[in-house]
Amino acid sequence: MADDLLILVDAEAPVESAELLAASGLAQEELVELVEFGVFETSDGVAGWSFQARAVHQARRAVKLRDTFGLNPPGMALALTYLEKIEALEQRLRELECLLPR
Amino acid sequence: MKFKDYYETLGIERGERDEEIKKAYRRLARQYHPDISKEPGAEDRFKEISEAYETLSDPEKRQAYDGLGRHHPGEEFRPPPEWDARFWQGQAHQEVDLSELFEQMGFRTSQRRRQAGGAEFPIRGQDLEVVARLTLDEVARGTQVTLERPGGNVRIRVPMGVTDGERLRIPGRGGPGSGGGPDGDVYIHIQLLPHPLFRPVGHDLYLELPVTPWEAALGAEIELPTLDGRVRVTVKPGAQAGQKLRLAGKGLPMRGGGGGDLYGVLQLVMPKEFSEREQELYRELATESSFQPRPQFTGGTTRG
Repeated sequence: MADDLLILVDAEAPVESAELLAASGLAQEELVELVEFGVFETSDGVAGWSFQARAVHQARRAVKLRDTFGLNPPGMALALTYLEKIEALEQRLRELECLLPR
Repeated sequence: MKFKDYYETLGIERGERDEEIKKAYRRLARQYHPDISKEPGAEDRFKEISEAYETLSDPEKRQAYDGLGRHHPGEEFRPPPEWDARFWQGQAHQEVDLSELFEQMGFRTSQRRRQAGGAEFPIRGQDLEVVARLTLDEVARGTQVTLERPGGNVRIRVPMGVTDGERLRIPGRGGPGSGGGPDGDVYIHIQLLPHPLFRPVGHDLYLELPVTPWEAALGAEIELPTLDGRVRVTVKPGAQAGQKLRLAGKGLPMRGGGGGDLYGVLQLVMPKEFSEREQELYRELATESSFQPRPQFTGGTTRG
């Protein structure tokens, strides 16, 4: 077994557009639309937009949904929004469940 | 090589039309897509379905797959000898998975086309995705996970401070790129294994804290477990069920320093049986106490 120890990069480091596109397989036009829908928060980067690290995971998720269900950008935006809403509710539910006896 | 029955995976007959394959795939994808299904094993099932669809939806791959003939799933078989030359140059005797074979097949064909056209263009290396199922103790202290990677396993250091559901990315450490393309990335999905006592919510931990009626009435000093040893807490007299005792910083550590909180949730518990003497004491309490537990019921009618 190779003894190559990988160490995680700073999870807060911003990601540039080009890297986000390459890592996710999202097309530039799709990204523009998803940004317009407010799925991703952007700030100004060195060359164009810059994203939070978590955008990479969101974008990959969008691409998987796109490929499986043949979604267009509005569909991806809707699916992502709903999934994130469901996850926030699940988190809240877990929190409330912790207040109840098992 | 072990045989996989892609038709069976999609629940269709051999010789089914292309539209039917697509329909079957879509139906199963909706059922097992990991973002939709929370069923255990859904993710693995979805991978099998996708693998089957990838091969059967490509006419060239489907034809090659059909050429393998019929075997029982899991049965050992040898692909036809000409396959070595066609798809698997130079690595004929290495143990491979059927899915890798078909992946390679598409890859080689497209590569051949590319070379025929002259220029080879860069292809990004494959991403590697792993699910790391970790215990609370492991995430609290930081740990290492081993990732199987073609060309040798690697260990990945998972720093303390990760939480359930978190996704981590290590850029450029996945499969090697070709034709000058960049290497893929490594993705780790953290899943916390259930703990018998603590329930995590983000970086906070919840602990059920059962107390007797007299401990709640009179107050008590209770010893409770935390991730780093036992601590004593004070339950104040007149404590109520559902009340939370907060132990600041005793939850899961956070990356930037500090930690979440540990909440002990008070739960009033009663013995199921009472001795003669206990009953006597309760009767005495019943006569003595003027406490009215249901003031909202008095006076009014059910019609509100």
